[in-house]
Amino acid sequence: MIRVEHLSKKYGECTVLKDITVQINKGEVISIIGPSGTGKSTFLRCLNLLERPSGGAIYIDGADLLDKKTDVPGIRQRMNMVFQSFNLFSHLSVRENLTIGPIKLKGMNREEAEHKALEILKLVGLAEKALNFPDELSGGQKQRVAIARCLAMEPEIILFDEPTSALDPTMVSEVLSVIRRLAREGMTMAIVTHEMAFARDVSNRVFYMDEGYIYEEGTPEQIFDNPQREKTRIFINRVRSFNYRITSPDYDLYAMNGEIEAFCEKQILPRITRHNLLLLVEELLQLHSQIPSVFPLDLTISHSEKHGNLELTLENAGEEINPLDPDLAPDDLGLNIINHLAEKIDYRRVDGRNSVIASLRKD
Amino acid sequence: MKQTARLILCLFLFGIFWGCGDSGTSGARPEGTKLRSSADLKDKRIGVLLGSTHDTYAMKTYPRATILQYKSPSDILLAVKSGKVDAAIYTYETLLDIFRTDHDLAFLGKPLFYIQVGTGFNKNNNALRKKFNEFLHGIKENGVYADMVDRWITRGESRMPAINGKKTNGVLVVGTVSDKGLPFTIVKDGRMIGFDVELTERFAAYLGKELKMADMEFGSLIAAAATNKIDMITSTLMITEERKKQIAFSDVYCELGASAFALKKNIAQPGDAIGASGTTEASPSFLTKIADGFYNNIVHENRYHLILDGLKATVIISIFATIFGTLLGALVCSMRMSKILLLNLTARVYISILRGTPVLVLLMLIFYVVFASVSIDPIIVSIIAFGMNFAAYTAEIFRSGIQGVDKGQTEAGIAMGFTRVATFRHIVLPQMVRRILPVYKGEFISLVKMTSIVGYIAVQDLTKAGDIIRSRTFDAFFPLVMVAILYFLISWLLLQSLEYAERLTDPKYKRRKAARA
Repeated sequence: MIRVEHLSKKYGECTVLKDITVQINKGEVISIIGPSGTGKSTFLRCLNLLERPSGGAIYIDGADLLDKKTDVPGIRQRMNMVFQSFNLFSHLSVRENLTIGPIKLKGMNREEAEHKALEILKLVGLAEKALNFPDELSGGQKQRVAIARCLAMEPEIILFDEPTSALDPTMVSEVLSVIRRLAREGMTMAIVTHEMAFARDVSNRVFYMDEGYIYEEGTPEQIFDNPQREKTRIFINRVRSFNYRITSPDYDLYAMNGEIEAFCEKQILPRITRHNLLLLVEELLQLHSQIPSVFPLDLTISHSEKHGNLELTLENAGEEINPLDPDLAPDDLGLNIINHLAEKIDYRRVDGRNSVIASLRKD
Repeated sequence: MKQTARLILCLFLFGIFWGCGDSGTSGARPEGTKLRSSADLKDKRIGVLLGSTHDTYAMKTYPRATILQYKSPSDILLAVKSGKVDAAIYTYETLLDIFRTDHDLAFLGKPLFYIQVGTGFNKNNNALRKKFNEFLHGIKENGVYADMVDRWITRGESRMPAINGKKTNGVLVVGTVSDKGLPFTIVKDGRMIGFDVELTERFAAYLGKELKMADMEFGSLIAAAATNKIDMITSTLMITEERKKQIAFSDVYCELGASAFALKKNIAQPGDAIGASGTTEASPSFLTKIADGFYNNIVHENRYHLILDGLKATVIISIFATIFGTLLGALVCSMRMSKILLLNLTARVYISILRGTPVLVLLMLIFYVVFASVSIDPIIVSIIAFGMNFAAYTAEIFRSGIQGVDKGQTEAGIAMGFTRVATFRHIVLPQMVRRILPVYKGEFISLVKMTSIVGYIAVQDLTKAGDIIRSRTFDAFFPLVMVAILYFLISWLLLQSLEYAERLTDPKYKRRKAARA
């Protein structure tokens, strides 16, 4: 139904989209996810030519959208859009918002259009607001009206540009459930969203966009449970990490601890976790400091928001030596503490680097 | 709303009472400084008609005096009566007529000098000038001229004889100033009469042409003749060297005295001993004064016709200039918002020039320069000038209105399948109109009031009508207050229609109305 070939978009020197080639079929629900500022909205807006692409081609049912002879307004009638900021026509009542398109564009008579508008408003649960004006509605109601306005035009595909981003959290679900219902009824949709759980259960396919192109594409299961590529994984698991380089055995412990604490605070970790993490780091460094060749030593702490895991990695490029070896330790106390704090701890030698990976035990 | 209107009306009425009560009481001087002869004027304030020979004479003769230039004879009289000037210089013959009814004023000695008066023509129109000289010679020969002098000037009559001539030879457009005063030109019963008018009518009849009198500001007459807006000037035009450079004069048809005059009580009378001031008359009551004022200024000689005609001109100019200005403003606004540099730049230049020049200057430029050689109704010129001025302001108002409509709604319209034009029409325009109406209303009212300057190009509007009445009655307060009230009523009524439009564009209005019903 929609075929995009080598689509690119530049604003002056800044390349927002580069070389996107995808196909969207009838009846599919596509979720487009990814970090902010990676061109998701721009991509969607290129599909109905709200933004003019700098290169590539877009075919809607075989018609070339960029051809001057193509009736673009005609195609847009079949491919409506829902915006982040609702964009309801503020001088028209809810019902008139729904009828203006069918009356002016499709030549429907007023009575029929109003009757249909009321049907659609019932569908989104807003029939009693038909005569209200947009400024009298809540955010969630406005967005549902905006969706209803799209439906009134009987489109073949609806593009959703972050439909819930401007809503307060209490209103997100009322909008999402309307979109879910449309998905069940077989509407073709492309949805740019930050609602991962929603994207997962509503879509047939997920595009993960990063750096201006589709970095990974697959079924929701593939993308959410088993992402193949690094950036997807980091994004899906919502991993945040902290790096610190220790150059000598006489490092500034207090400065490092301060930074770790700041990181923990940002991740909103409980006090006890923070305390345990600092203890684990200190004990591991204690073990490492027995070996002169480990410096410089790289400390990485990663936190996965999704799973709540805290992972700790210590890497060095020194000679092959396992700091966890009980024979190297001056006494058992350090190792005992480490084993108590860590759920899992491993030593590995990879690509000429020693690395110790530990996961903090969850309480 | 109604209460406000009533309150304002009360204030106006109060203004009339106050004005009537006040008139004529100021301006008396202490005994020792009374004027004895015209020589006493040397360090006084002297009123003259702007650009007249009196003006030049006063400047030369009384270098230490303060010369105040007024735009119409009625203003000069008013200035003398209200003590704004100590004395004034004006045409002896006209004053003679005024003093027949006005006993507060008197001559200060004999006429200062005499001036020759002729009719003026475009320098290239020698044929018409020759015709006039022939005509003048003819009436002096056959006694018609002597009869005219006798009737108008010596006896002070104010009746026009019927002059019937053929009107088959085309039109003769003659520029004049309708408020010159008797015996030369006044407006009576809605038409101009006087010595000058009779002379002109006789000349038109002599030519077999239809006469069209163009009533103008005195200062505009010569420019109008020089640019062929009018064929001829008959307005007791004094022959001066300076004017000869601009226009050609006919033979002298009259000699006018120039006399100084002042308030009678400020002029030392022979035998006027100290302390022997005359008995004061009992002043009439307020209501009598108002009734008199109303009769003199409105009823007498059907003067309300003048007011009605003026009202019509003001309303026509206001409404059509608004329509024209709005359409032109929309065009300029679309150019101003265009991405094409040339259009954008043109619109910017247009807006800054039009907003940066007085509309009066624009009006005169269009009338005397742009349409110099085209015969065009001055009302149309006024509509064009005010429309152009209005457009510069509305263009910017429109722009702010359009930019005030959330861009997302335009996008939504386009995404829905509307073309750009249809989106503008169905989505942006209705919201913009509602947004700009409050500012637009204000701009509209100032346009209505601004039209009061069209008298400069010979349009008889409301202000001009008031001036004409003033020139006959020499009563400042009643005509001015009446004109003020009428302007207020026009703007108020026209404003009501805009306010109705404002209600119509309120999307919630219909719902509220339904709820009330």
